[in-house]
Amino acid sequence: MKKFIPLSPRALSLVLLLIPAALTWGQQPEPSLDNLEQQAFKHAVAVASPSIVRIETIGGLEKVGQLLLGDGPTSGVVVSADGYILSSAFNFVRQPTSILVTTPSGKRAAARIVARDHSRMLVLLKVNSQESFPVVPLAPREELQVGQWAIAIGRTLSPETANVSVGIISATNRIWGKAIQTDSKISPVNYGGALVDIEGRATGILVPLSPHGQSSELAGTEWYDSGIGFAIPISDLLPHLEKMKQGTDLYAGLLGLTLKGTDIYADPPEIAAVQPKSPAYEAGLQAGDRILEIAGSTVVRHAQLKHALGPHYAGDQITIVYRRGEDQTEVQATLTDKLEPYEHPFLGVLPMRDSEPVTVRFVYPGSPAQAGGIQPGDRITRINDEPAVSAEDLRVRIANLEIASEVTIEVLRSGAMHKLKITLGTFPSEIPASLPPSRESPPAGEATVTGKVEIKLPEEKNTCDAYLPENYRDTIPHGLLVWLHEPGTNEFDKLITAWKATCERDNLLLLGPRSANPDKWDPTEVDVVRAMIDEAIRSYNIDPARIVIQGRSAGGAIGYLTAFTHRDIIRGIIPIDVAVPRRTTLKPNDPVERLSIFSIIPAQSKIKPGIEARLKQLEQMKYPVHKVETANAEGRLDAAGQQQLARWIDSLDKI
Amino acid sequence: MAAPRTRRTDHRSWMRLGVCCALVAGFSIPVPAADLASVTLKVQPKMVKVYGAGGLKGLESYQSGFLVSADGHILTVWSYVLDTDFITTILNDGRRFQAELVGADPRLEIAILKIDAEELDFFDRSQDVELDVSSRVLAFSNLYGVATGDEATSVLHGVVSAKTTLDARRGVFKTPYRGPAYVLDAITNNPGAAGGALTDHQGQLAGILGKELRNSQTNTWLNYSIPIAQLNPAIDDILAGKSRPRTVDETAMRPERPHTLSSLGLVMVPDVLAKTPPFIDAIRRESAAEKNGLRPDDLVLFVGDRLVPSCEALRNELGFIDQIDEIRLVVQRGDELLDITLPGLKNTNP
Repeated sequence: MKKFIPLSPRALSLVLLLIPAALTWGQQPEPSLDNLEQQAFKHAVAVASPSIVRIETIGGLEKVGQLLLGDGPTSGVVVSADGYILSSAFNFVRQPTSILVTTPSGKRAAARIVARDHSRMLVLLKVNSQESFPVVPLAPREELQVGQWAIAIGRTLSPETANVSVGIISATNRIWGKAIQTDSKISPVNYGGALVDIEGRATGILVPLSPHGQSSELAGTEWYDSGIGFAIPISDLLPHLEKMKQGTDLYAGLLGLTLKGTDIYADPPEIAAVQPKSPAYEAGLQAGDRILEIAGSTVVRHAQLKHALGPHYAGDQITIVYRRGEDQTEVQATLTDKLEPYEHPFLGVLPMRDSEPVTVRFVYPGSPAQAGGIQPGDRITRINDEPAVSAEDLRVRIANLEIASEVTIEVLRSGAMHKLKITLGTFPSEIPASLPPSRESPPAGEATVTGKVEIKLPEEKNTCDAYLPENYRDTIPHGLLVWLHEPGTNEFDKLITAWKATCERDNLLLLGPRSANPDKWDPTEVDVVRAMIDEAIRSYNIDPARIVIQGRSAGGAIGYLTAFTHRDIIRGIIPIDVAVPRRTTLKPNDPVERLSIFSIIPAQSKIKPGIEARLKQLEQMKYPVHKVETANAEGRLDAAGQQQLARWIDSLDKI
Repeated sequence: MAAPRTRRTDHRSWMRLGVCCALVAGFSIPVPAADLASVTLKVQPKMVKVYGAGGLKGLESYQSGFLVSADGHILTVWSYVLDTDFITTILNDGRRFQAELVGADPRLEIAILKIDAEELDFFDRSQDVELDVSSRVLAFSNLYGVATGDEATSVLHGVVSAKTTLDARRGVFKTPYRGPAYVLDAITNNPGAAGGALTDHQGQLAGILGKELRNSQTNTWLNYSIPIAQLNPAIDDILAGKSRPRTVDETAMRPERPHTLSSLGLVMVPDVLAKTPPFIDAIRRESAAEKNGLRPDDLVLFVGDRLVPSCEALRNELGFIDQIDEIRLVVQRGDELLDITLPGLKNTNP
């Protein structure tokens, strides 16, 4: 047996200095750096491992989603002597009937989940035992450096000894500031255990995490043993530990802002919309404000704001410095765990296209606009005493107001100005039975190539058809209906036949991107669909308020994925006989990036209950959802149904 | 991580020179790779690339092995690769030999091959080392068959992650080997790696790399090695020409008359889920269960030292305990854990 010499890094460096001496004189058995490091690993494990406990669970689910779960022991870290244990939420995703923790004396005791941290995917357990548990020593987060030794410790493979993986710290500030990254092997073998430094002090709790889809306990498990592993710094949690012991769950802190622009690494943090009743709203922030500092960090891009806000919990008070016009203001905001789902306020009009200021095309029957006296043909010049320059401007201004709040609208009617008081309502559930034309004069401008054309992107294997109506003129903005075919079929020609007349009347283009493999859509192809739409926008005059995606079954699933991935351009989705796919990250409804759903469900569909359950979820998130049933199994609309769908598309730019 | 290291070798004076130079250069310690390199150079001549049957349906036709005698005995894993009359081995220097299967122990999943050669470098099994957790290790193998001809086998480094027992009886690890094993913090168990050598950082033999194995408890791949000390008696037997069992009879472990739920007087909740927790639904009057204090709604956690996470596991576990033996149970009642012992039957006559 080798003699055990505990060594701190300081002692280690001292010994290192002695090595040359030992080498030169050669009197003692000389320790090599290699051996010293090995001893330091063992020492670190000896210091930390008494605080790493073994957790066993009984009962619960065998599978969550597609992932078959193991039922072996997992690990946890002692954070207070009276038996509080932090562990990874992954270890309890099976919803076990019973949780057992091995105590310092080697007995097993029952434990229960006291609180969860939904932001960092941790759980706090309390063990029902009178024994004193050794609390893990902590390494301050600010001392951590990339490249230092990082030892991952779990207690799953053997009850007596810990299991160890040695690596280094790869990054100190990952997953929007929440986690440390390491290259030691992190997997279910040590999830819930500790990442410790060379002195055996814990730097974090080992968890699976993914920068995408963070809301799931399983996110990031596909990266096990991959060289990318994450640990949640315990020091970030300590201020909240007492609260957790009282049974309070922790949630990510939300502010309730929508920023302008879409490139989070380039665009400045300028507010596009503030959600009513949100912390940002209470703090007095408004659309157009430019955020300069948040939670002590200077921010010049979206991503920096996300990084600064990431580590904060609901209930945390943060300081925000913003610029409005020439003025710079500092405010406090208390973050919240849950924003009221955003619901679009509704004035009740459709604008004439290309009219500035806005000319009213249509007044919804029973809408606030009708009650307040707005009439078709009115020109809306001002809202709340400020000029409304365009339909888009008016739409965003309304989006920033609260439902049931009163607005002052000034309209020009037959040369006279009228000031109208209107109380905003909510989106109508009915689609208008008929709509007047969206422009006064017939299409002008040069005729261009029309009919069916092919769009090809040099970098993609996918092909794509487009259809331009006979009366297409590039002076007129056109809506875009994107059709994602069902695998194994190509129905674009049928689509043209069915939509030809509507395309001419409503100024609509058709676009039919095809999957690279005709028999299968791949989820990564959402970006190809996006690229095709971008190409159409570059080539033709497209109305950004009316870009919609339609698709049946697998095509519709890709449609949902595309729409939720590319919220910045897609305004509507028409899924046929398909539910929102499980892997879709359902982002909250957004004031500016509007997304409406027109779901077509065959009455006989076997998956009807599933589709409706997921639609209900979207409705609860206040997305505008419209449902229709068809008698036929393919989800084909009859002539009247198709006209209704056409009017739904034609009214997506409602205000 | 390699650094100046001193051992009683020819390199020592060189090292001393190197460090002295470093001192002159102002205390910056050089980090030459020469040290691990020299260990590697010492080990590689003992490694063997083994080729045999396979090559279809994702089954590789190669594995690893290493020499355990100067006259050509090779230790490797017992697998389908050896299931042919033509086993080819290639030594580190590129020499190719037809190998003969001397013997195998399927229970330990090892086999000994013999080639017709002499004065070979080999691992002295009497000089093996025992490792503990966090010990640094090297793993030599021909993983993925990447080394061919006179190319040296691949070397991976890591530490011992854990020492555990591979226990096939209850299906945690699907391997017939049931003894202690090193779990490694290195991705050693890939196709072709089985039969490779695990050494410490001095190149001393510690174990043989196991086959690919999935840990059903965590649903992850397990990287493991069997300590050479566990294999020595079997290797000695094979070398001495003694026969080893060819198969393992799994059912032989089960007693003829085990305990059952009904013999104990236990009625569990209906087993409707994949993992129905073993809650007691009812207890027969006057039964062993009643007499020893079990109650309806108790949750059975352990039988002996084994966790029984489901009704099925409980039934299965009882099947391993003879009726004449007592059963130690741990049950959960509310937040309390209770130890309850049910005595064995005195009269076992049918």
